Amino acid sequence: MSKAKTSPVNRGPEHFIGIALALVIIGAYFLLPFVIQPERGPSTVAVVTESKKANELKIFKTGVELIPLAGLGVLLLGAWNVIVPGASRAISLLMSVSGLLVLVYYINFTRDYAAGGATYVSSMGSAFWIMLVAGVLCVLQILMPRGAGEGRYRITKLFGNQESIILFGLLLLIFVVGIANPRFLQERNISDILQGNAYIAVAALGMTMVIVTGNIDISVGSLVGLLAVISGRLVVSGLPAPLAWLAPLIVGAGFGALIGFLVAYLRIPSIVVTLGMLSIIKGILIIWAGGERVRDMPADYFLSQMRPLGIPMPIIIMVALTIVVVLWMRYSATGRAFYALGGNAEAARLSGLSQKRLLMTVFILNGIFIGVASVMYSTQFNIIQATPPPALELSVITASVVGGVSILGGTGTAIGSTMATLLLNFIRSAMIFINVSPFWLKAVQGLLILVTVLADLIRRRRQRL
Amino acid sequence: MKRTFAITLILALLLALAGTPLSADGHERWDGADDLAVNPLACGMGDEMMDEGEDMEEDMEMMEYDGGMVAMGDDMAGMDITLVDVPKLVGIGYFAATTLGQQQAAEELGNVSVTTDAPTEANIDDQIQVIDSYITAGVDGILFAANDPVAIAPVLRKALEAGIHVVGYDANSEPDAREWFVNQAEFNGIAKALVDSLADQMGAEASFGIVTSTFTTPNQARWIAEMWAYASECYPDLTWLETLEAQEDAVLSFQQAQTLINKYGEDLDGIFAMTSVATPNGADAVQQAGVCEDVAVVGLATPNGMKPYVNSGCVRDVILWNPVDLGYAAVYVMRAVVDGEFQPGDASVSAGRLGDLVVVNGSEVLLGPPFTFTADNINDFDF
Amino acid sequence: MKSKTSPPRNPTLGEKLHHLLISQEGVLFVIMLVSVLFLATRTDKFLTVDNLLQQGRFMTEVGLIAIPMTYIIITGGIDLSVGSILGLTAIVLGWTWQELGFPLELAIITGILSGTIAGFVNGLFIVRVGVPPLIMTLATLALYRGLAEGISEARSARGYPEWFFQLGQGEFLGIPTQLWLLIIAVVIFGIILARTRLGRALYAIGNNETGARFSGLTVNRYLLFIYTFSGFMSGVAGYIFVSRVSTTRSDMGTGIELDVIAAVVLGGTSIFGGTGSIPGTIVGVVLIQLLKNGLTLSGVTSDATIVVIGSVLIFAILVNNFIQSRRSEN
Repeated sequence: MSKAKTSPVNRGPEHFIGIALALVIIGAYFLLPFVIQPERGPSTVAVVTESKKANELKIFKTGVELIPLAGLGVLLLGAWNVIVPGASRAISLLMSVSGLLVLVYYINFTRDYAAGGATYVSSMGSAFWIMLVAGVLCVLQILMPRGAGEGRYRITKLFGNQESIILFGLLLLIFVVGIANPRFLQERNISDILQGNAYIAVAALGMTMVIVTGNIDISVGSLVGLLAVISGRLVVSGLPAPLAWLAPLIVGAGFGALIGFLVAYLRIPSIVVTLGMLSIIKGILIIWAGGERVRDMPADYFLSQMRPLGIPMPIIIMVALTIVVVLWMRYSATGRAFYALGGNAEAARLSGLSQKRLLMTVFILNGIFIGVASVMYSTQFNIIQATPPPALELSVITASVVGGVSILGGTGTAIGSTMATLLLNFIRSAMIFINVSPFWLKAVQGLLILVTVLADLIRRRRQRL
Repeated sequence: MKRTFAITLILALLLALAGTPLSADGHERWDGADDLAVNPLACGMGDEMMDEGEDMEEDMEMMEYDGGMVAMGDDMAGMDITLVDVPKLVGIGYFAATTLGQQQAAEELGNVSVTTDAPTEANIDDQIQVIDSYITAGVDGILFAANDPVAIAPVLRKALEAGIHVVGYDANSEPDAREWFVNQAEFNGIAKALVDSLADQMGAEASFGIVTSTFTTPNQARWIAEMWAYASECYPDLTWLETLEAQEDAVLSFQQAQTLINKYGEDLDGIFAMTSVATPNGADAVQQAGVCEDVAVVGLATPNGMKPYVNSGCVRDVILWNPVDLGYAAVYVMRAVVDGEFQPGDASVSAGRLGDLVVVNGSEVLLGPPFTFTADNINDFDF
Repeated sequence: MKSKTSPPRNPTLGEKLHHLLISQEGVLFVIMLVSVLFLATRTDKFLTVDNLLQQGRFMTEVGLIAIPMTYIIITGGIDLSVGSILGLTAIVLGWTWQELGFPLELAIITGILSGTIAGFVNGLFIVRVGVPPLIMTLATLALYRGLAEGISEARSARGYPEWFFQLGQGEFLGIPTQLWLLIIAVVIFGIILARTRLGRALYAIGNNETGARFSGLTVNRYLLFIYTFSGFMSGVAGYIFVSRVSTTRSDMGTGIELDVIAAVVLGGTSIFGGTGSIPGTIVGVVLIQLLKNGLTLSGVTSDATIVVIGSVLIFAILVNNFIQSRRSEN
């Protein structure tokens, strides 16, 4: 391995610049008059729209110059840190990218503002959100010194794992498409894509755990459909909303236990069990629901439409669960045992782990995650369809495997699958924004999935050499 | 070398994306309808539609019967008959409503029993296999809504040869593969109603996008082709922005509508939603984005699905025939055919509570003009 | 332990029969017989020559694709893109004929060729780049369907001449034409799998790929061949499908991969590779088709039918597992 062992923390002057910059940005974010209004939360869009109507646009001029300056500062500092040893290079690069994004947004803003276009407001809002992220990164790069292995300056090392490839793919996509069509970058679009697909990301978390143990679940779509209708019918029949949210988790866990039992104790391969369950659950749903959509849910049922602190609920759930799963799989004994089980079932058995109990656990957990996903799905709209969401299992499995989960089990992380979900759905939306012919949308999507997968393989191959 | 290849591939792809060579041109005639002739109605608002319909009937009366002929079988006139109904798929609200209508008709008639059986996905091959099994099982009549007009034809012809009466509804097959087709509303009538509604709400210079099921779904493709023809004749200043696919997928419909809203911003005045799934979810997207005032959702949907949005005032018009009546009429037409009361060449057929329905296009029974649900009447319907 | 001391002798007919009966295929065959007999008691329309031949016509596409799928699953791989390849073939066939003005014969060849190339691309990436089969074919599942949609621009090609339908809708010697094709393919490729070096190589790869490589097998060449073969068979199935339904649409064959995989695993092929056979697969294909048809004939609707088929799938594997584990204990 590399013999270079850099000193853990090298507090050069750039760190203090970083701190200062972070303070300026975060301070500016909260101090600028039009950013925060108590009754609205941090929504620039609403406030700026209001001030435009009231012809008070001059307040814009007061703080707006800060944006490009701070963006440029973050960009340069990030670039400097990439070259000079000291801070974590990945974070430094992220800083550069976020600085760049802030600049792109600012350019969009000025362009649209001058032309009187419609999107300048949300460009502004997005710029602020990214500035906030940049500020956090500035702090992080001070706290997280560069790892021992990162001593040599090879740009390829940045792409050390699938997660960072996806992340950079995501940023690149946002960047390229953002230049081609600035409206892609507007706050609402980004937030729509994030919250609209959060339920897929949550289901993909469960799937990731299942795949890590060397199994697969292709009954996801049917189960989400069934649990959504159960939840909806319960709440319509008068159950309080929180209980109706809970019910799919319990039923989902029950189905998970059934699948787990068949796989673990009766030793039927999971693909066979879930292929069978796919048909069984779907049939049950169609017979039971009879095509009748669920509607007239009470107003407090719509979990996915809630916005605590101005942040859409699906995004909160997605981020929180991703963090929980990442930590749990890395630090808990059971979580680590999943990897052992998938990596080498025989070794795991010999090491005293109860394979059967682990399999039961993973399928029950998967059932609970599917339950959560189904609640997010069913509370998204005012109507719940009585059919399973078409081809959802394909989206979920694709997200998991693109996220770096080896289908043979044993490797993979939750954060990769969440980011892959986002990447795949950003791609879908981006294609429309840059006017790819609708007939060719699917082909381009398929090609991009292939490219992402290939990038991962090329990386693995390079690491082996 | 492989690395170079991969990098070149990625770069080429990005260039392709930035340059957008596959650019969609919204101003070309969008055509998934296989170049079939379009027949736009004359311009004008609502009231004239009835007249148009009558004009058309006069034209069509001259057309000869072009349906198929059933092989001679036992005379079942007045006897109990068993029918099977094979819609595109089961499990969605629309076909649950047609099934309801069929059961109502069967109950009224007393000497008809109908079972509904169809694949759980709108798959052309599964539908063929279901019909084939029922031919073997030996039913007296088949009601169908075709997933593909051409693909379903051979199996329907086989049914006719076996002496089984065949009547279609909702989605047609090739004319000679069935006896009659109960047409819920003419393609051009639907197109006119949709475009008129948008122009009325947002003005004749509005810009709009479309969310459809898939480009290959025959009914939707024909409606869009007719809308194009009608709009370019009567509202040349309407701007046709983009057409997006959303299958019959609730989430995808919602997201495609969101994408249209976000992509076109203030330039978007309306969304046409072409399926009974896309319309409520498109409306949901508009409502959640808070742009009910700026973006009109006009679409085809069943009233139950649309009540939340019409009642909240976000959607003004929902256009649809009554699918309960459609299923009801199909059973009555079948009964009349079996009884020999409805023969090729007849100009109309009596259909219970619906009264007399006229024959158009040679072998199609027209249910009537499309119906517009608004806040005033939507709560009177339950399907 | 006891068998170690017993002297080797030729098994008697009874033992052979017993052996056959408790093999994977044997167990499944018994399940199929029981189902068929049960369905035959429910309706007299089911067990007729005409009906069974008609079901043969319907199952040909799945059956043809199930052959290479068996090969692939035996090696421990999988091919999810077969449905999309079927659609792509159909579209290329219709498009080259109608839009490019190819003679229909040439269009058919072009169509099947494009299916073969699609399979070859799968194989190339799996073998050369080392993409796991599931991931590769998951990506091409989207890609090939997208190509079909893009090439066709949502148009369908119709109006083929009469001779074109002979394969899909005609009969030869009283049996549906395409069923002949399936029977021939099953015999040939069944023998190849059971009796030739290729077959043994596939089992060896499935049992231990690294070991197979070390023992000098040209593993890559075999793998490349079976994925190309899979594309070819999906292409042929696409041609038959177009001939049967008389039109092409870009969404043809959607979801057929799950039907095929269900039939193959039902036929006793282990999803982990190493075991499986063509007779087993064919019994799986036939069982699913007969269940679908027989249940419909006896008045069960499709939504309930899929519940039954799903349960049978799980149950059949369960019974088989049970018998095989008892057998290995003895």
